[in-house]
Amino acid sequence: MSESEVSVPLAVRLRFGHAAVQHLAREIGVDLLHIKGSAVDPLLRPGGYAGSDVDVLVRPAHVAVLDRAMRQHGWRLYSSFENGSPFGHAQTYLHDVWGYVDVHRFFPGIRIAPDRAFERLWADRREIEIAETGCQVPSLTAQGVLLVLNAARSSVRSKPDVRIAWHEAPLERRAEMEALVADLDAPVAFAAATGALEHYRRERDYGLWRIVSQGGSRSAEWWARVRAAPSLGVAIRVVARAPLVNVDHLAHRLGRRPSRAEIVAEFFRRPARAVREAWQGLRRVGASR
Amino acid sequence: MTRLRRAPGTATLDVDGTVYAASLPGGPIIVLEGIAALIWDEACAGDRETIVERVAAATDAPTDEIRAHVDAFVADLVARGLLE
Repeated sequence: MSESEVSVPLAVRLRFGHAAVQHLAREIGVDLLHIKGSAVDPLLRPGGYAGSDVDVLVRPAHVAVLDRAMRQHGWRLYSSFENGSPFGHAQTYLHDVWGYVDVHRFFPGIRIAPDRAFERLWADRREIEIAETGCQVPSLTAQGVLLVLNAARSSVRSKPDVRIAWHEAPLERRAEMEALVADLDAPVAFAAATGALEHYRRERDYGLWRIVSQGGSRSAEWWARVRAAPSLGVAIRVVARAPLVNVDHLAHRLGRRPSRAEIVAEFFRRPARAVREAWQGLRRVGASR
Repeated sequence: MTRLRRAPGTATLDVDGTVYAASLPGGPIIVLEGIAALIWDEACAGDRETIVERVAAATDAPTDEIRAHVDAFVADLVARGLLE
């Protein structure tokens, strides 16, 4: 029997990763949906691209229970909700055997409350087998919507997802997707991916999705986040977070946990970078006048 | 008659004749190729007492020569919690 010295193809390891998280979730009574990667219906990903990690969307009320259980079973926190992405939507874990898992507590672009959004997707779920393990996935329509929303903040590699899931979808499925986008209140991010963003210029999150989908400086992105915040409280949290050092990213860049001195040094370096970006932005504006 | 089966919590994949099996949620992933994959398939497919005969028939090997190896291999799969 071959053991530790044998390499396991990434695509195989990822499928086992889905199965492992599903098994654990079932044991502890956690509801989750497998999204992206191996969980995507072949109709939407004919090439079968499996990605580089496992993604699951968890019922928000169950996130803490899953987090505890994963840490008890060999998953280590790689980046937190606070530091993993500017949206704060997912936290990444690393397991020696299964690799990376992204646990999503909500999906960027969806504007209804995360628990309501999960319930809406959960209501239409179906089950597929991954590594002989029954895994819950969103409906085909919902998978299409999530792929398009994901593409709104992804690189060029996700463009085929938009073409297949949206532009080439049958009219009936497109109508179902539009209805679901309305239910989830996700029109702006959806439009950012499908090329119709300018229809939403008056929406508070228009600027955010324009920058996320088309690029912009970090400071411009932070201002767009402030404007997109649904309430003053959220906006204040965005502003308060802006100058904090992302310790997880710093640790990964250094290859070790940073020392207190390094965190302090990074703290002073980031505002300098923001000021530099703002200055460059002003110069660009001035030059264009 | 004794039947073996994939244990609850065992995930498996068959990719181009290579069987990958793992006990969830901790692993590790076991890679079974060639004769090992054949023994796995036969162990899951019928009476435990006849696994050796079926493997021998599929490989043209003398039953007496492979019996100890096959039995030990199957016992190891059971001990790892992959089969029960």
